[in-house]
This record gives sequence, structure tokens and C-alpha cells, in this order.
Amino acid sequence: MATNAVESPDASSSPQESDEKAQLNAQLRQQQRAERRSRWFWRISGYVFFFGLWQFASSFLVADFIVPPPLAILEKMRDIIVSGEVWVHFGATLSTIAIGFTVAYVLGAALGMLIGRSRWWESFFGDWVMATLTTPGLVFALLTAMVFGLGQLGPIVAVIITSISYVTVNVVEGVKAMPEDLVSMARAYRRSRWQIVRHVFIPFLAPFFFTAVRYGFSIAWKIATLTEVIVGTAGIGFMMRREFQSFSMTGFLAWVLLFFAFALFLERVVLQRQMKRVLKWRPEVAK
Amino acid sequence: MSATTLRRPALPSSGAKLVNVLKANRSARIMSWISLLVAWQLATLVIPSELIPPPAQVLEFMWNEVRAVTVAPETLYMSFGLSFERLGVGLAIAFAIGTPIGLAMGMYKPVEHFLHDFVVVGLAMPSLVWALVAGMWFGFGNLAPVITVTLAAVTFVVINIAEGVRNVPKELLDMSAAYGVSRWRTIRHVIFPSLMPFFFAALRYGFANAWKGLVLAEVWASTSGAGWVIKFWYDAHRSQGIVGYALFFILVAILIERLVFGRLSNYVFRWRATTSREIPEPASEAPAKEGA
Repeated sequence: MATNAVESPDASSSPQESDEKAQLNAQLRQQQRAERRSRWFWRISGYVFFFGLWQFASSFLVADFIVPPPLAILEKMRDIIVSGEVWVHFGATLSTIAIGFTVAYVLGAALGMLIGRSRWWESFFGDWVMATLTTPGLVFALLTAMVFGLGQLGPIVAVIITSISYVTVNVVEGVKAMPEDLVSMARAYRRSRWQIVRHVFIPFLAPFFFTAVRYGFSIAWKIATLTEVIVGTAGIGFMMRREFQSFSMTGFLAWVLLFFAFALFLERVVLQRQMKRVLKWRPEVAK
Repeated sequence: MSATTLRRPALPSSGAKLVNVLKANRSARIMSWISLLVAWQLATLVIPSELIPPPAQVLEFMWNEVRAVTVAPETLYMSFGLSFERLGVGLAIAFAIGTPIGLAMGMYKPVEHFLHDFVVVGLAMPSLVWALVAGMWFGFGNLAPVITVTLAAVTFVVINIAEGVRNVPKELLDMSAAYGVSRWRTIRHVIFPSLMPFFFAALRYGFANAWKGLVLAEVWASTSGAGWVIKFWYDAHRSQGIVGYALFFILVAILIERLVFGRLSNYVFRWRATTSREIPEPASEAPAKEGA
């Protein structure tokens, strides 16, 4: 804000000031560095402790088939990847999730807007949304298994039924929090309907839509694997059941951890990063 | 569409009265149940097969179950009672283990860094995995379901309690220290109330996750309980049994959500303003904020 004329007297006192500032900064940086060091120290010691405990338990306390050593699981994972089995089953599960979740997302977003704008529709669907949120996934897995039998259709429908409500709930929250004053102002300035949607509605709802994706996805992959355990003919759930029935803890954990790591990566890293990129202009919600 | 039209004074003509009645929220709820029944009945007529049982058959099955007339080895009351017993024991263990860990995580940074990643992984782990692992470890019986409940709930307890400890308002603590309020009264009137919402969230989300895990554990690692009975009907190819039990599950879910958690949160948060007593959840019947 200072003009050039005012800057000159400032310049004379600046070396001292900047010195102090630099010192303060250095102190702060040092503190931060120490904090970071302590954080990483404790974090790594946490990993060492738990994996050590695991290794200890498997080699001294119980038999290998109850708690297999971590290395055996890693080896099994490598076998799964090298043999190519991983593509068949990941592909099956992921295509189920992709189809089911896309349908659920479109329906859930539409439903969320409807419920968010109208109390009547809120009471109409309220019970069902809440019931599907709290009912155990097993119930829907068995129902779809009963109706659609073996194959991919059952898991897809189960994914749709369960993840719709998660998407709906998040969209409703966004629509209800919509700043009415912004909308009225845009109306007062005679913006067209399309402009209001493009510049008020969509930017405001974007974070809620993203949260809806994350929550919906996190429930979608869980219910997909669960339904596959019951009726799948391929997929992660199918492999989990096979390993469970042959009491192979190593194989079971290898499949589970492999897919779990993959899903968590998609959910926490890929989606999160996308969200951060899209919402860069609103740092307060791009967490 | 919105609340504005609802509050319009009723017009004298009977047609308008009917419209107003139909526009009430209660009638929306009733109509949603009716339209589901109608859609279901139509579906059974269009797709005549053994797969989708007609509503009447399911209702008859449910009525029989309610009167404890059943061919399953367990009556409705026995199976749900047993499941809730296991749930209660498992949750108690989860709180007993999770509360001290959560307190430690909230109070000491090193403990937090030590455990954080593992708690997050546990939080995201599907309860199906816990159920199957517990099944392989402990076999058929009571132990596997109880352990599943504990494993599925404990991370929710830990993370929520830790968050709660971090959220105890420091100014209030400082002020009670300055005014010489006794330690016990500080805990009772400052720490406890501010920890309460987090305790409650832990209970609610832990409960929901544990209930889902428990049912799975009962299917694969037990020979009794509500989860096992619905699997029994599935194996017996009795579609009305599956649908009937599914509806029981949904009813129980609604009942717990509405009665237990709704009432409990009203009681626990009686010190708050009436509008913020509800646990924030959009699907609940919170008073409308958008106004007329």
C-alpha cells in the first residue's frame, strides 16, 4: 500500500527489522523442523512396533496358519500379481463398482436435490434413506442374491441400493446450506437461470458433490466385495470366500490387503487430490 | 413445493382441504409406504416367479414370527436378543479399550503419531474382513461375533475420544482454574459435557459399524443370532423368510435410530439450546432451517 515516496525512510530501518524477522523465522523453522522430526520418529517407531509385534506373534506365539508372518503375505501378493490373477479379479470387482456407483451417483444426486428443496419429498424418502444407511449390507446382499442369482447383476444392484443414500445425504446437506441471499442477489441483478446455476449453484455445491463421491465410493467397494462373497463368480469377494473356506489365512490376508490398499489409495489419494485441484479457489473447503 | 405453500390458511372447499392434507409431511410418509407396497405387489404380478414373494405372504410370515410361530430353530425374539447381547458385550469391551487409548492420543502428541495410521486403517477396514478373520481365528461360537463387534467399533471410539479431548475449550479450563473450581467439579461440568458429543458420536458410529459386522460374523462364524437366521432362510430358499427378516432388520434400524438415539441425544444434550440437540444428521427430523 505504501507509495514509493514513503518507502525511502522505511528502507533505512529495514535492515534491522528484517534481521529480527529473519531470526524469528529461523526460530520458527527450527521449531517446525523439530516437530516434524519428532512426528516422523514416533510414526516410524509405531510401524516398527506393530510389524515387530506381528512378526513376533507369528514366529513365537502361535502357528503360522493363524498369524502368517508379514513376509509370507508379501510373497503371496507377489505371486498373485505375477500370475495375472489380480487383473481378472480386480477387473471384475472394479467394473461392478464402476457401473453400480455411476448409476447410484446420478440417481442419488437427483434425489438429493429433490429432498433438499422440498420438505414433502424429504418426508417421503426420509425413512428409506435412513433405513438403507443403517441396515446391515448383508441384508441387501442376500436380497439381491435371491432375486438375481449368481453373476454380476446382483452385486451391481446391491451397490446401487446402498450407495444411493450416502450420495443423497451429502447432496441434501449441500442444497440445504445453499446461501439464499446469493441466489436472490443474482436474481435481483437479472442473471439468467443458467448463469445462476453455473456461477452460484455449481461452485457452492462442488465440495458436497465431492464428499458424496468419497463416501459413496467407500461404501460401494465394501458392499461390492460383500455381495461377491455370497454370489460372486469372480472378483475380490469371490477370492476372499475361497481362501476363507480353505482356511488359508495367508491367501485371505494377501487378497484383502492388496485390494484394501488399492481402494484406500483411490479414495484417499486420487479423489482427494482431484478435489484439491478443483477446489483450489476455495482453500477453506479443500481439505 | 416448499414450506411456504404448507402454511397457507386452509380454503373452505373440501377439494382444497384434501390437497392440504395430502401436502402434509405425515401423509408423505404414509404415502411412501403405500407406494412401496403397491410397486411391490405390481412387481410380483408382472414377474410371476418364486423369487419375489407377494407382500401378503411376507406379512403373514412376519406376523407368524412376531407371534413366535416359526420353523427356524430360533424365534425372532431369541435371535435378535442374542445378537443384541453380543453387541452389548462387544461394545462394552470396545469402550473399555478405546477410551484410555483415545484419551492418551488426545493428550500426548507422540502417542497420536505412534497410533494414528493404524487407527485410520482400522477405521476404513470393511467389517466383513473382521468377521471373516475372527471366524478363522475363533471358530463357531460366541467369541468370534463378540470379537468382531469389538474390532469394528474400537477404532471409532479411539478416534472420537481423541478428537473430543482436543476440543475441550481451553478458556473454560483456565477460567475454572482461576476461580478455584475443584478438580472433580471441573471434570463434571467442563470436561465431561464437552466430551459428551464425541462420546455420543463414538457410540453411534461404532454401534452402526459393529451391528453390520456382527451380522456378518453370525453368518460365517456362528450358528445362532439374527444374522444366522436370515442366512438360514436364504439356504432354505424361502424368499418370504429373507424379505421378512430383511424388513425386521430395517424396522429395528429405524427404531434404534428414532427412539434410542433420538431420545438419548435429547437427554444428553439437554444443556444445549433446543435447536442443536440433535446429532447433525440431514436425514433426521431436525427443525427446518430454511424457514417459510
